Order: sequence, then structure tokens, then C-alpha cells
Amino acid sequence: MADTIPLLGFGWNDLLFLVFAAIMVVTALAVVLQRDIIRAGGAMIICFAALAGLYVIAGSPVIAAAQVLVYIGAISVLVLFAIMLTQVKSAPRALVFQTQAVPAAVATVVLALLIGVTVVATDWPKQVATQVAAAKDMAVTLFNDYTLPFEVVSVLLLAAVVGGVFLAKRERAEAE
Amino acid sequence: MTAATRSLRQVATVGRIVIPLLVIFLIVAPVATVLVAQAIGPWLISVLNSNIGILRFVVAITAILLFSIPAAFIIIYMELKVIAYMNLRVGPNRVLPAGAAHSVVAGLKVLTKEDFTPNSADRLVFTWAPVLVFLTAVMTFMVVPFGPGLVGAPLNIGLLYLFAVGGMTVVGLLLAGWSSFNKYSLLGGLRSAAQVVSYEIPLTLSVVGLILLAGSMSIDSIARQQSGWVWDWFVFRQPLGALIFFIAGVAEANRTPFDLTEADSEIVAGFATEYSGMRFGFLFFAEYVNVFIMSALIVTLFFGAWNAPVDVNWLLHLVGVGPLSIAFDPGQLGGNLVALAAVVPLVVTLVLAAPFYLLRPEKPVWQSLLIGFLLLNLLLVGVLGLSAYVDWDWVAGLIWFMVKAFAFVFVFVWMRGTFPRVRIDQLMGFAWKWLLPASLLNLFATALAIILLKSAGIN
Repeated sequence: MADTIPLLGFGWNDLLFLVFAAIMVVTALAVVLQRDIIRAGGAMIICFAALAGLYVIAGSPVIAAAQVLVYIGAISVLVLFAIMLTQVKSAPRALVFQTQAVPAAVATVVLALLIGVTVVATDWPKQVATQVAAAKDMAVTLFNDYTLPFEVVSVLLLAAVVGGVFLAKRERAEAE
Repeated sequence: MTAATRSLRQVATVGRIVIPLLVIFLIVAPVATVLVAQAIGPWLISVLNSNIGILRFVVAITAILLFSIPAAFIIIYMELKVIAYMNLRVGPNRVLPAGAAHSVVAGLKVLTKEDFTPNSADRLVFTWAPVLVFLTAVMTFMVVPFGPGLVGAPLNIGLLYLFAVGGMTVVGLLLAGWSSFNKYSLLGGLRSAAQVVSYEIPLTLSVVGLILLAGSMSIDSIARQQSGWVWDWFVFRQPLGALIFFIAGVAEANRTPFDLTEADSEIVAGFATEYSGMRFGFLFFAEYVNVFIMSALIVTLFFGAWNAPVDVNWLLHLVGVGPLSIAFDPGQLGGNLVALAAVVPLVVTLVLAAPFYLLRPEKPVWQSLLIGFLLLNLLLVGVLGLSAYVDWDWVAGLIWFMVKAFAFVFVFVWMRGTFPRVRIDQLMGFAWKWLLPASLLNLFATALAIILLKSAGIN
């Protein structure tokens, strides 16, 4: 197969990148704009899957697999689970909880400015040769150079788990 | 009006359709095929050659999709028949001898049923949920090694891919349960979400010890490390891991005693209540494909994958023979091959028929001839199968793999025939209070043993 696509003038990987990026943008907009919350959840799953595809193109299948395992297999399921426990079919379709439109708009503008400044200020390299990262290299880097951040994150997660158990237990004690 | 059209008008309607079709099939199609092959053949071959990776992938996907159909049919038939015998019933016995084609006919029946969507269901999600369930089941097949080299996509991170894709099944079940807009279906969906997410943790953790031992996440490498004798299989080095993986695998496949998601006596088939026709078929097809995949995984990871339980080469070496191979090329015989092909079947048939004729001279001759012919066919199949087994290691691997995988499918069916269903609180308590600590203990013990052995300089 030719390295570049005849009419467009760039490589197949770039085309795949554009496709995945387009899917991500469209589904991310759908997550925010959809009124039907389950469909928004479905769009979120597709968005996560497209991001996993981007990771594969960038040469890191391990992170792609972890993305699918954690975000689609666990987090999306928990989100859908929570929606199903609370959502009724005849729920109001207008914005109910949205009472902070002005602060949200300010925050959005600030965030957009921040991202724009960062993108402009960064000295982007022309092109990095993609190189498939093996699981072993990742493990060596993670547990040698970045052990402290790893441990800090795990302690944070542990605190979240303990907090969740504490909240659940307290509610039950009050009910009895 | 030419003579050809006049004579065509005189035949009946069926003939008017059949005769042009015959002309097309017998004359036009072969000529066109040859011409097209002449014209674009070399170009086509060069394109396929330069894209051999993509070609291999497409062929693998097609083969796996096609294989999933007979596999599911065989498992459905096994379930009907084995449970029937366990219940002292006869089971299906109408289509073919012993009802062998019963599940195929049942599948056709499902195809012809009305495909019904409830009024208040979410039409889009309702339609796509069974597709998602079936898709994830078949995608898992891509990394299952059926024999040496017989794998859809030999990934370096095969195990991680497997758990990632396998975990997506629950999204489909959850969406199917929710979109039906039926409280039993919703209950089934919620139960499946809680169950699968809980059991995925011990399932994944039980394999981490094995990854430490094997030093690789590639399923192919794990399979190769188990070659040799029975005691080289990982089940003897990871007995606790194998047990946890089996129990959690039963729960992942939603099988008895953990089939709360579809418990027909409590929530009338759960997420599948509102489904009918082929969408219902897809949901249950996916379930049986999952049963096969779970058996295949248990075999691959813990029971020696495609390896035979005996080290044949070692035994042969003991006797004093080198590695077996049938170095026989039929092309050497040249013209004699045609004569042999004509004479040998006839002679062997007569030789095999002779004893039956001599024993029972009062029976008609054709009966003993028929018996001789059938015996000849058996003999040929046996000889060809044996030579293929010895010459090609993937044939041997495929046979061993299928035998072991269906042995575990039998265990799954056996459990369905004998075990009662557990309660939901027992189910969750068992996963979090017993399986999870046990898998952590297994991981800890394995890591400790590896470190001790390394520091002692043994391994």
C-alpha cells in the first residue's frame, strides 16, 4: 500500500487520526447537548472508544487497552448504573439543575483562553517517529521514575474508597 | 423470429427460466471468470501480496464469525441433550438421528419470528444493544489461539485486550435491560451490571499471578510455555488462580449458579424479556459464544492450551526414534498414482467386504459390499487424519484444543443441570469477601515465591 493517499496527500495514519478526532468531537458535543441522558451516556462510550483508537495510532496499545478496560468497562457502566437508578422516562427535558449559567460561561472562556495560550506557546516538534511502547518499558518507567506520584494517586483512591464506604454505612445506620 | 427463440417458447415456464440459467452457469460464467482472471489476476495478486497483513486480518475475522455459528449450535444441542439425560428424559429426538440438527431448526424458527419492538421502548438503543453484546463476544475470539499460529490477531497484550473487550459485554446487557422499559428487564440489567463489574476484579487479579510466572501478557507465549507433560500446565503452579478464574468466569458468562441476570423463575429472562425474533437470538447466541470463550480461556491459560498432555517427542526419543514425520510426496508416483487411485479403493472394499460375506452368506451381497465401502471410508479418514496429525502441528493443536475446550463446555452444562441458583446478596458477598481476598493472596504468594526462588538462585 502506498505511504500516502493519492488525492489527499497525507498518510493513512493521519486519515485515521482525523476520523477518530471527528468522532470524538461529535460524540463529545452529543454528550453535552443531548437531552436524553442515556443517549448522552452512549455517546460518551463511543467517545472513549475513539480515544482508545487515538492511543493505538500514537503507538501505545497498552494505554488503549487500559482506556477501554477502565473507562468503558467500569466507569461508563457505573455512570449508566447510576442514571438507571434515578432516571424516570418522563423526566423534564429542560435544564433543571442549571442555575449558574453566567459563572459557567466565565469559566469556559477562561479555560478556552488557557488552552489557546498553551497551544500557541508550545514549541511543537515537526514529527515524532511513532514507536510502539511495550508493557515492560511502561512498567519500568512507572515503578522507577514515577513511583512517588503513583503512590500518591493510590493513596488518594484509597481515601475515596474509604470515604464511600463511610457514607454508605452512615446512611444505613440512620435508616435503622 | 429465430429458431432459438421459437423453440424456447415451446418449453414450459420452468424450462424458460432454467435453460438460460444453465447457459449462464455452464458457458458464460466460466469464460467470464477466465477472462477476468487473465485481465486483472496479476494486478490483484500483487495488491493482495502487498497488503498481506490486512488480508490475513479480514480472513481471520470472517473465519471467526463463521466458526461462532456451529460452536453455538453444538453447545445449545449439548445443553438440551445432556440436561435431558441428567433429568432422565430423552431430549430432542426428531430432526436427524438423536435430534442432532435440533438447534439448527430452532435457530431457523427464531429467524422467522416477528421482530417486535415494544411501544414505549427506546427504539435506537433497543435495536443496537443485542448487536453490541454479540460484537463483544465475537471480538474476544480474535485473540484466542486455536492452535500454533491459528490465532486471529497475535497481540502482545492479548490478555489485557481480552479483559478490556470482555468487560464491554455488560454495557450491552445494561442498555438492553434499560431500553425495554420493563421493570423486570431493568432489574436484569442492573443485576448483570453489578455482577459482572464485581466478578471482573477477581477474574483479572487471578491471572496476574500467571502473568508474573509467564513473564508475558501474550497469550501465544503463555500457551507455548505449557508444552511438555501434564504437570507443565499452569494449573499445577497456580491452582488457586485457576479455581478463582473458573468461578469468576462462570459468573462473567452469566451461567448457573450465577445466572441471576436472566433468572427465568424470578424476573422472566431479565434483560431479554421484551426481545423477540433474531434480536433475542443474538442475545442468546452471544451467551453460548461466551460459554465457549470462557472454556477456551480456561484451557489456554491453565490447562495447556493446544499442547498434548504427553510429551510425544520425549517418548519417541526414549524408544530411539527421531521426531516423526511422514515424508511421502504423492507426486513421486507420477502416472502410477492414477492407477493406484482407481484400483486401491476397489480392492480394499472387496477385501473388507469378504469376511462379512463369508460369515453371513444368506444376506444379500450388496449389504456386505456396503459395509466394506463404509469401512474403507473410515480407514481413509483415519489414515489421512493420522498423517495430518503427525505432519502439521496446527492440526494436532486444533484437535487437542477443541477436545479440552468442549470438555469444559460440558462442565458448564453439567453445572447448569445440577446446581441451584444463588441469591443476589450471596453472590455479591462471595465476590467481595472471598474471591477478592483469595486472588490477592494468590498474587502475593506467587510474587513471594518468585522473589525467594530468584534470591536463592534457582530460577
